[in-house]
Amino acid sequence: MAVQEHIISLLVNNQPGVLSRIAGVFSSKGYNIRSLCVAETTNPDVSRITLTSRADRDFTDKIKKQLDRLVDIISVTDLTDVPSVKRELMIIGLRIKEENRREILRAIDLFACKVVAMDADYLILEITANTDKTAAILRFFEPFGVEEMNRTGAIAVFRQPPGR
Amino acid sequence: MRTIGADIVLQVLEEEGVDAIFGYPGANTLPLNDRLAGSRIRHYLMRHEQAAAHAADGYARITGKTGVCLATSGPGATNLVTGIATAYMDSTPLVAITAQVNSDLWGRDAFQETDIIGVTMPITKHSFMVRDPNQLASSLRRAFHLARSGRPGPVLLDIPRDILGPLSDVKPQELPNGQSIPRKEGEAIVRIAEALNRSERPVILLGGGVKLGEACELATAFVEKTGIPFVSTMMGIGTITSGNDFDLGFIGTHGNQLANSIIHQSDFILALGSRFTERSTSVISKFAPLALVAQIDIDPTSIGKNIKADFQWVGDIKEALAALAGLVIPRDRPQWAARINEERAQATNKGGNDGCGEAGTLIRKIQTALPKDAIVVPDVGLNQIWTVRSWQCHTPRSLITTGGMGTMGFSLPAAIGVKIGAPEREVISISGDGGFLMNIQELATISSYCLPVKIVVLNNGHLGMIRQMQDLFFESRFTTCALGGEVDLVAIAGGFGIPAERIPVHGDPEAAIARMKETKGPYLVEAVIEQDAYVYPIIPPGKSNVEMISGK
Repeated sequence: MAVQEHIISLLVNNQPGVLSRIAGVFSSKGYNIRSLCVAETTNPDVSRITLTSRADRDFTDKIKKQLDRLVDIISVTDLTDVPSVKRELMIIGLRIKEENRREILRAIDLFACKVVAMDADYLILEITANTDKTAAILRFFEPFGVEEMNRTGAIAVFRQPPGR
Repeated sequence: MRTIGADIVLQVLEEEGVDAIFGYPGANTLPLNDRLAGSRIRHYLMRHEQAAAHAADGYARITGKTGVCLATSGPGATNLVTGIATAYMDSTPLVAITAQVNSDLWGRDAFQETDIIGVTMPITKHSFMVRDPNQLASSLRRAFHLARSGRPGPVLLDIPRDILGPLSDVKPQELPNGQSIPRKEGEAIVRIAEALNRSERPVILLGGGVKLGEACELATAFVEKTGIPFVSTMMGIGTITSGNDFDLGFIGTHGNQLANSIIHQSDFILALGSRFTERSTSVISKFAPLALVAQIDIDPTSIGKNIKADFQWVGDIKEALAALAGLVIPRDRPQWAARINEERAQATNKGGNDGCGEAGTLIRKIQTALPKDAIVVPDVGLNQIWTVRSWQCHTPRSLITTGGMGTMGFSLPAAIGVKIGAPEREVISISGDGGFLMNIQELATISSYCLPVKIVVLNNGHLGMIRQMQDLFFESRFTTCALGGEVDLVAIAGGFGIPAERIPVHGDPEAAIARMKETKGPYLVEAVIEQDAYVYPIIPPGKSNVEMISGK
C-alpha cells in the first residue's frame, strides 16, 4: 500500500497525561511520530496537537478511531488531503566562506529567509514555509556547511473556515 | 461523624448500585476501610490484589453490573494489573479504585508510591487521578459511566489518601457527560440486509459482544426466524443455547472442525460483536476467502481491526438485530443446508467434535449431576478447551472464561466473584494444576467466607497445553513443562479447611461428584489425568482454519 506523510490535527483537553496517551496509541499500533507540535488554543482548557506520521492509507482510519476512543480527545482531523495551509519554522546556523558568500546572500534573498544573527563567518537564518519547501531550502544550504538546524514540525489550519 | 472523602466514595458506590467490592487494604486505603463498617456495601477481603480484580471481573460477567475492586498504592495497585488487562481484553465493565500516597508526597518516590495511571494506560479505557476533593464524586460517577458506556471496559481511579480523609467544604457535583454514543447509519443496515438476502452460503458469527450487549434473545430469535446457521467465537459460546439446530460450534485454533469448515466455505459472514482475533481466524489471509464480511460492533476500533469489513455498522447490537429482523427475508438455501448436514453427519460419525477424552467425560458427568443453570469457570490451558467443548450452555451466562487475555490463575478468584454475584446458582471452577497454583491463596478466601464454590483440578503434573505444543511442534522435546506430582492438593485443600478428595487416573468419578454435590460448602476434587491427554483437533501455527490436525 502507498505510504505517505499524514498530518493530523487534534483538539484535546489541556491536562497532564494526555500527550502520553496519544503517543501510546501510535506506539502500540507501530507508527512513528515524525513531528509534533503542542500549544494551547484560545481556550486555555483546550490544546491543539499537530503531528505527522508516515503510513499507509489505512492509517487515518485506524488511528483516528483509536484516538477518538480516548476520553480527553475532543476532535481528530486528518489534514493530509484537504485544502489547508501548512507551515513549519526552521532555524539554520550556516558557516560562511568567502568563496560562497555571494551565492548564499542571493539564496537568502531568493528563498525569503530572515537573517536573525550574523557574524563575519556565521549566520543564523529563520525560514517559515511548508514542509516541502523547508526541506528543499535545507538541501540547498547543506553543501555550504549547516552547523546547526532545528525545526518545529508542521502546524496547519483549514483553508476554509471549518464547517463550510 | 464528620464526612470524609471515603464517605463520598461509598455514597457514590451505593448510588451506582454496588453491593459488593473486592479488595485488599493498605495504609493508604484505610480511611475507606474504616468507613466500610457503616456501609451497606460488602467488602470481600481477597488474599491477593490480582484475585480482587479477577473476582470483580467474574462478578461483573455474571451480574452484568460493573465490578469494583480496591487496592492500595504501590504493590497493591501493580498487583491489579493482570486482572485489569484481563477485563480489558474481554470488555468487562470494571472500576478499579487505587489509593495513592498523599498529594503532598506524590512524585517524590514516597513509600509505596507508583504511577499506576501510567502503568495502566494501555489496558484501561481511561485512568485518572482525583486531584481536587470537589471532583471526587463526579470523577467516580464518570468512572462508572465510562466503564459501562459503548464497548465496556476497565477504568482506574487513583485517589490520594488525603482526599479519602477529612475534607473541607465539598460541594455536591452533577454527572458530567461522557463519550457520546456512536451514531447510527440506517442505510448501512439496509445494505447489510440486502447482501445477506442475496447470499447463497451465509453464516452468522457470534462474538462476545452479543452477550455484553444483552442481545442474546434477539440473536436467538433472528437465527430461528431466518434459519441462517451460526458459529461463535470462544467468547460467544452460550449466546444461543447449546444444541440449537443452527449451531455449528465455535471457530478457531481449538474450535470445532464443522464450524471452521463451514465458515471457510461461506459467501457471507454476518459478524456480531467480534473483532476477529487470530485465535478465531488463524492466518487471516486464508480465512473465509469467498466471504463478504459485514461487521456490527459498538466499538468503531474493532471494525476493520483485523479483517477487511465489506459492510459495517457501528452501534448497539440490539438495534442492529431489531432492524435486520425486519429486512432479512427468510428463504431456503437447499444446497447450503445439504452441505452443512453432510458435514455435520461426518463429524458425528467421527465421534463428533469431542477430542476431549476422559477429561471431557468427567466435565460432562459433572454437568449432568448439577442443576441446569450451573455456571462453569474454566482456567486457561487444556482445561479451558476441554470445558468449552464439553459444557452445554443452557443460559448465556453459564460459561465465564478469559478468552482475550488467556490469564492462568483466573478461574479460582473469578469463581468467587461469580458465586457472590449469583449465590443461588451452583458455581464450578475447573483448573489445571498449573493455573490452580497461580492463585491458590484464594482457597483461604473461599474458606473464610464459606463460599460454596466447587473446585475441580485436572492434575496431569504438567503444563498440558505447553506439553502438547512441544510434542507436536517442537519434536517432542519437553522442557519447562513438568510440574511434578509431589504436590498433595487434597492435603493443601484440607489445610485451608476445604474438604477434598482425589480421583485416581482412569478412576470412576461418579462417587466423588456425588459427594461434591452433596457437600453444603466448598469442595475440591482433584482428578488425576494422563500427561499425554491432549486436545484435538487443533490448528497448527501458520495454518488456516481448514487445516486442523487430529494427531501427531
